[in-house]
Amino acid sequence: MISRRAFAEQLALAAAAPWFLDEVALSRRERGAGGEDQAQEPSALAKALAEGVRLRYPDRFTPDDLAAITRSIDGRLRAIERLYQTTLTNADEPDFVYSVYRGAD
Amino acid sequence: MADFAFLSVRELGALLRQKKTSATELATYFLDRLEKIGPRYNALVTVTRDRALAEAAQADRDIKAGKWRGPLHGIPYGVKDLLATKGYPTTWGAEPYRQQTIDIDATVVERLGAAGAVLVAKLAMVELAGGMGYNQANASYTGPGKTPWNPDYWSGGSSSGPGAAVAAGLVPFAIGSETSGSILTPAAYCGVTGLRPTYGLVSRHGAMALAWTMDKLGPLGRTAEDCATVLAAIAGRDPKDPSSVARTFVAPPRQGRGSGGEGTRSGGTKWKIGIPKGADKDIQPEVAANFRQALKVIEDRVEVVEDVELPDLPYGAVAGMIIAAEGASAFDDLLKDGRLSQLTAPEDRTGGYPALAVSAPDYLRALRVRRPMQRALDDFLKKFDALAVPTRNTVASPIDKPFRDGWPGVTGGANVIGPTNVVGVPGISVPNGFGVKGLPTGLSFTTRAFDEAKLVALARLYQDRTDWHRRQPTIA
Repeated sequence: MISRRAFAEQLALAAAAPWFLDEVALSRRERGAGGEDQAQEPSALAKALAEGVRLRYPDRFTPDDLAAITRSIDGRLRAIERLYQTTLTNADEPDFVYSVYRGAD
Repeated sequence: MADFAFLSVRELGALLRQKKTSATELATYFLDRLEKIGPRYNALVTVTRDRALAEAAQADRDIKAGKWRGPLHGIPYGVKDLLATKGYPTTWGAEPYRQQTIDIDATVVERLGAAGAVLVAKLAMVELAGGMGYNQANASYTGPGKTPWNPDYWSGGSSSGPGAAVAAGLVPFAIGSETSGSILTPAAYCGVTGLRPTYGLVSRHGAMALAWTMDKLGPLGRTAEDCATVLAAIAGRDPKDPSSVARTFVAPPRQGRGSGGEGTRSGGTKWKIGIPKGADKDIQPEVAANFRQALKVIEDRVEVVEDVELPDLPYGAVAGMIIAAEGASAFDDLLKDGRLSQLTAPEDRTGGYPALAVSAPDYLRALRVRRPMQRALDDFLKKFDALAVPTRNTVASPIDKPFRDGWPGVTGGANVIGPTNVVGVPGISVPNGFGVKGLPTGLSFTTRAFDEAKLVALARLYQDRTDWHRRQPTIA
């Protein structure tokens, strides 16, 4: 059985590189986790966030669209858990550097 | 007319220098071939005939005047249609941008022009470089990219046109882009060589942004040597792209043949190659066999370390967060006005909306985690000259099925493309044989940031001893 952590990682990889979807889905199926993202009820938070998307664009989505959006948000929320398992300190800044600008005098 | 279709840049350059052909003859040859054959593989967006003939005429005038601009002088090429070019549409593979014109030349196009190369085509791509989550080949308004080796199968994405066009002999080389796999995958599926440079080595100015902190531009060609020649022409700092770095790339010189000669590591020692754990386990048998055979070809020049393990870090979570957040921002106009609904792949029409649920702190968390991730992966990679893996764990997927249904039962392999793209280190894929359905397979090397010369030397060593890169598909 695939671990929750590995599952979240695979979902995130799928999001990063869509052509991995086949491998990801098959991997879950082969390891006995088939359809976990389909069968598992999305979390209340995922549903709430999807509702927020619907409210932003109230006339845009079919029920199937919303179901797909909700599943995707649910997967992303689980991937986000992994981001917070890496220990960071206050001094760990994002990997970009803001540069101040001064134009020609 | 001579048959130029499958000659390398080096070979075409020799013909030009020997005055056995002209830039105009080459341009005309490839323009005609693109128009005749390109549509069969859905490889083409626009043939840039007028521009090509003007550039070729200039190249010929320069040759006549004795002004040689380098190894790309007079050589035709194509670009993925996410690079802006004056005078022609730049459509990003997406219906909403079908009429878009951006009246500048991308820095890469400028630099290739300065090197004397001749732009002959804008080439097909997956819509928006795949940023909306496509899961099947039919994800471009130009139709599903088809590999010339078997047009019932995908050419790979998102640089689908560059891969197919090089493979079919429609251009000697092409420029593609990779955010996470979009050069190496079509290189493998089309049986050509693809080089993904280090992030920042090549200016992104004038290129469609999918994820600003992960997008890279790089060449697809017949050989590693050709890719190195192209990279040398396009690499380097560009004031128009603040993420570009003040480094250049110089192709590694060929060493003398014989003992300790070509393909030998500096100092005469063997290349140290790490094989990630599970790299060839539970993948298509032909892909695994070709990988092992490829290592055997260079075994006298490499020391192989089996079952190495990448640092256990959330590469996928970071990549997913960055691409989702940056992609949704890059295309926020499409989300806002609903034009995502015009995209070709049904899944792409809703694929951008979940990113609206990404919080700013979560995105910033991903960017903060990437710092220690970079350090950890660099510490890991510095133990080796390169990692080697099969580029993909299967041959190309059928164009008429979702990717997940293409090759059922294939569940293994080591994911190197994802982690190495997140941190922005370079990779190269070279053809290393064929698998089922007559489809090509690929061998990849990956290394530390800015060590492209090692990749080229290793790939060149392999290609000096094999002829997979010289195989040609049957063009009906």
